[in-house]
Amino acid sequence: MEYRFKGHLVEELYKDYRIKEGMKACMNCGVCTAVCPAAEFYKYNPKNIVNIVARKNEDDLEELLKNDTIWYCGECMSCVTRCPRANAPGLVIMALRKLSMRSGLYMLSEKGKQQYVVVKDLCSNILNYGYCVYPRTFDYETHKEFGPVGKWINDNLDDLHARMGSNLDGDGPGGLRKIPKESLDQLKNIFDVTGATELMEQVLSDAHQEAVKENLSDEEYFMKVYTENDWEKHLNH
Amino acid sequence: MIIEGKQKIWADYQKDIPDDHYFYVRSCIRQAFWPGSEVTFLDITRNKLGKDFYENPYHTTCGGIAYHSDTIPQETAMTIIARQFALMKESGYENYVCSCITSFGCYTETLETWHEYPELEAKIRQYLWDSCKKEFAKPKYLAHASDIIYKFRFEIAKQMKFPLVNAKTGKPLKVVEHIGCHYSKMFPSKGFGGAEYPHVLVGMIEAWGGEVVDYPERRQCCGFGFRQYFVQANRGYSESNTHKKFESMEPYEPDLIITNCPGCPYFLDRWQYVIAEQTGKTYGKNGYGIPALTYEEVAGLVMGYDPWDLGLQMHQVAIEPLLEKMGIPYDPKKKYQGLNGKDLGQPMCPSCIKSV
Amino acid sequence: MKENILIIGGGAAGMEAATQLKKLGLTPIIIEKSEALGGHIAQWDRLFPAFHPAKDVVAPMLDGVKGIDVRLNTEVADIQRDADGFKAALSNGETINAKAVVLATGFDLFKAERKQEYGYGIYNNVITSLELEKFFRTGKDERINNPQKIGFVHCVGARDVKVGNTYCSKVCCTTALKQACEMKEVFPNAEVYTFYMDLRMFGPGYEDLYLKTQKDFDVKCIRGRVCEVSEDMDGRLVIKAEDTLFGKPLKMTLDLLVLMCSMEKNKSIDKIQQQLGIANNSDGFMQNRDMYLGLNGTAKDGVFVAGTCTAPKSLPDTIAEARSVAVEVFNYINNK
Repeated sequence: MEYRFKGHLVEELYKDYRIKEGMKACMNCGVCTAVCPAAEFYKYNPKNIVNIVARKNEDDLEELLKNDTIWYCGECMSCVTRCPRANAPGLVIMALRKLSMRSGLYMLSEKGKQQYVVVKDLCSNILNYGYCVYPRTFDYETHKEFGPVGKWINDNLDDLHARMGSNLDGDGPGGLRKIPKESLDQLKNIFDVTGATELMEQVLSDAHQEAVKENLSDEEYFMKVYTENDWEKHLNH
Repeated sequence: MIIEGKQKIWADYQKDIPDDHYFYVRSCIRQAFWPGSEVTFLDITRNKLGKDFYENPYHTTCGGIAYHSDTIPQETAMTIIARQFALMKESGYENYVCSCITSFGCYTETLETWHEYPELEAKIRQYLWDSCKKEFAKPKYLAHASDIIYKFRFEIAKQMKFPLVNAKTGKPLKVVEHIGCHYSKMFPSKGFGGAEYPHVLVGMIEAWGGEVVDYPERRQCCGFGFRQYFVQANRGYSESNTHKKFESMEPYEPDLIITNCPGCPYFLDRWQYVIAEQTGKTYGKNGYGIPALTYEEVAGLVMGYDPWDLGLQMHQVAIEPLLEKMGIPYDPKKKYQGLNGKDLGQPMCPSCIKSV
Repeated sequence: MKENILIIGGGAAGMEAATQLKKLGLTPIIIEKSEALGGHIAQWDRLFPAFHPAKDVVAPMLDGVKGIDVRLNTEVADIQRDADGFKAALSNGETINAKAVVLATGFDLFKAERKQEYGYGIYNNVITSLELEKFFRTGKDERINNPQKIGFVHCVGARDVKVGNTYCSKVCCTTALKQACEMKEVFPNAEVYTFYMDLRMFGPGYEDLYLKTQKDFDVKCIRGRVCEVSEDMDGRLVIKAEDTLFGKPLKMTLDLLVLMCSMEKNKSIDKIQQQLGIANNSDGFMQNRDMYLGLNGTAKDGVFVAGTCTAPKSLPDTIAEARSVAVEVFNYINNK
């Protein structure tokens, strides 16, 4: 199958500064896997991933990038504190995820496809509001764990924030202020110049194409990817 | 446990925090979920401690959550950060204080990476110019807002009205401290007390009369996991990590949890509700759960702020049992009111975890 | 003129070098900072690989230095070169002139509290290998109360960039297995685990010890470095590691944890070492001329090294180096 950077995955991966920072050389001691929350719950082993990256084998790397495994990490960086060789498996994961997305291989795994959700939600929050998380786009129906108090918060958002002393969507300084257009424009420029827009558009386009293939609308595809979970496959029993 | 062993380590990891004139940047999550915390932080620092905390209204998110959800490239995150530094410079400040822990981790990682790879810093400088026509200066000091409260914890103690003590028995409250992973796990020397026995929250608890509880899973992540929470299919990961922590701290019967990351109290609070709904189990005594508060909320409580001004009504776990324990007066009628007593109704009661 | 050879350090290296130098007709003078000769090896109970009683090696060494000038409870306060060799001012007020100096100052055990996540000095039931050896010798340690589950942690203060020591301390693996067997002797019903990254069983009889450890003593060797230690409500220790051979993280509750601490260069000699112009190598030990034919020499004429001051090593290595330094000094004195 064709994909971007085919035959050059290793070369492309090693350009990432997080590989320069995070891959010193592994001696297989296992402390990263010992402390890793994802290793406890998922079929995940950060030590093994670092080993695969170290081997610099194009086929092995392709397999890795197609797999759910690189998406289990929670980026807590607990592995970084302890590694006796000063490796950073958490940073290596970030570099692998980026390459998986840019190459398109992320679309071959259930967890990889979920990037559509986070790219769509977080990038739109940043570009439209200047925040990564913004209360008006934090929907109770899809976040039931927000709890009954969460529903009450959402139902009374403006009144509650006024009472709390926020400056919700207001001018000037203050919590949840309206971020000035000049700032939002600059964020968009930053996105354009640094490749974030390109990445975002690619992910949205990949998702749309997949939706079409599966005969779903974009919204239906979003919900499918948002909720689909083959937990038997992922969990450490 | 031999406390002197920990004290020696804390002494090794001291940080220089400047006395005044801070450039303050907000936290997306804290503003959205714990708005009272940032309001209280600025009130304490500006009005009770007389400090200069400046907020430039043109500042934005640092992009940290998007960065750690792998939705934006590293260069984007670094350029957004560079823009924030440029605003600091333009505003005439050199002491940078951020409200979010993920931010603190990103700012620290960015500065350290630039130090290691100056060519990357040069590239970001160019990107910032190309996109915003701005030039940045690196902060002279970078601190997290909890570092500031830590630095002034004894001044706060002097103005304390309600110590972290059980008002009926006189015994110190048992407090679990939970440090955000991105505070010191990546760069231990950047956190008070290092990565293994961080002192930033311990110092506050002890200065305000409480007793610190250590338990086996203390250092474990709350499980936020960025994409592991944002995508519903992955949320079990987040809940499982929090569950693990509560199972581990349960025998120690803590009265409260204090956190410095804005996301952690959201998870430590809401997952207790979910665990109760799913399994019937609650932690803490009498079925109310264990309150998980931000350090600003704890500072506010000890200083005598009204609990509803602090935003404690925005937690799912009931706060009233703790308020009664500490002897803090509160008006139940005002809990869910808006400005000027406006009636905003009230949340439904959860079916399992007790609510007041 | 008396051909004084100043030997700084009265442990195995210092004693053996002095014994041989005397036989070669020179006049060794041992300066020992503690109250007795013998160094670390005198604190040992039994030696690997075959549980040889340490005193059976120490006693003949002590015998060998009878009649040799020894200054106990004394340090070299200052040392300068002069036309005839070296002039050393001792902490007891004496001055000694010597033709050559042998640095045999040995090692310090890595301070285990520096490996913060293991909780030494914080959790009661975490002890070092040296403290365990003392327990074997004296039978007394208030932290060792009929433990039923015991763990040994390899590489504490070694192979670890986070504590600043990236080298391997050579002898801890063999010591760990020896001590694991000895624990089973004292507490036959206990479960004993060792947590290692590699098992460096490099010497004669060492692989046999490994086999014995597994077969005869049923010690369970788990390949995975201990990541962190915490304490539960009962004061028992909860450790996390990965069982790397199975690729699965594990958590275990233990009654006692023994830290196999690395050797570091004894730092009390730093000032004198500087005055003599001897640098440290990249591992923080004394720099010898090279590791082959220049093993006992240094960058400076007349200054020699022997024993663990240059690198972690076993007792046989130390004895061999002490004997070879005697030959080197003898040849130097006689301009050979």
